[in-house]
Amino acid sequence: MTIVTMFCMLGAAIALGFGTLGCGIGEGLISGKAVEGLSRQPGASGKIVRLMIIGQAIAETGAIFSLVIGLYLLFQTPDATLPKAFALLGAGIAIGLGSIGSGVGTGLPAAAAVDGVSRNPEQADILTVHMIVGQAITQTPNVFALTICLVLTSITPDPGIVSIAAILGAALSIGLGTIGAGIGEGMVAQRANYAVGLDPRNFPIITRTMIIGQALTETVAIYCVVVSLILIFAV
Amino acid sequence: MEGITGDHLVRAAALLGAAISMGFGAIGAGLGEGYTGGKAVEAVGKRPDEAGVITRTMIIGQAITETTSIYALVVALILIFVV
Repeated sequence: MTIVTMFCMLGAAIALGFGTLGCGIGEGLISGKAVEGLSRQPGASGKIVRLMIIGQAIAETGAIFSLVIGLYLLFQTPDATLPKAFALLGAGIAIGLGSIGSGVGTGLPAAAAVDGVSRNPEQADILTVHMIVGQAITQTPNVFALTICLVLTSITPDPGIVSIAAILGAALSIGLGTIGAGIGEGMVAQRANYAVGLDPRNFPIITRTMIIGQALTETVAIYCVVVSLILIFAV
Repeated sequence: MEGITGDHLVRAAALLGAAISMGFGAIGAGLGEGYTGGKAVEAVGKRPDEAGVITRTMIIGQAITETTSIYALVVALILIFVV
């Protein structure tokens, strides 16, 4: 057991521990609304459960990213150098913290869509489409975190305290910065799904407003990507 | 890790500080912009005819919410490039 193995195991623990936190909350919100909806419309159980499973499968993405990175870190060879070990720890921090926001965020629109189907089962198709669009955009902060995480697994930083601080800083910046953007974009998509559930005829204008609102919320995550990339490559 | 001087420590602290500034600074702005966008979408759903004015107000509100994260970005860039 070397100190390098220790850092990799710590990185795997952070990736899995934090990475599953948000997804657990998000998926719980969806199944909570589904159970509530089943008590309201027991006849529509097929449509409600189908939409719940699709929504939970998409909300699971962040946890799967974390699992893959966690397993990758656990099977690292112990002969890596100390700066490389810090880069791998950073990869675990980036994907672990980066999955929190999108995990909760992707749960919100799916919960609203399941609620809408339980109120009016005929709108299941339009709500499924709208839910998937909202969840896909909400997932983008998590994809940014995965990108930075993969960059961190592939680089070999210079030895020295400054470059190690830059690597850990890049991971913290993208990890913490995507929490707000992920939950925020989920809030926009949640309200959009409620609105479509109330009146599906307004589908096009609601989707347009939702995409503008989510794009503006996304800018915050883009700032964090820029700061992370500067810390990795320009310091 | 030998030969760490005070200058190295200051530089390392500045880089970690930049990351903490940007990371935490983005949480509030992201949540706030999401709340604004969510309420705007809800309003468009209720009154689709007023979509233009609602979208305009949403963009202004989100732009002002955005300024807090721009402060965090400016502080982060100063910590990276100036300190």
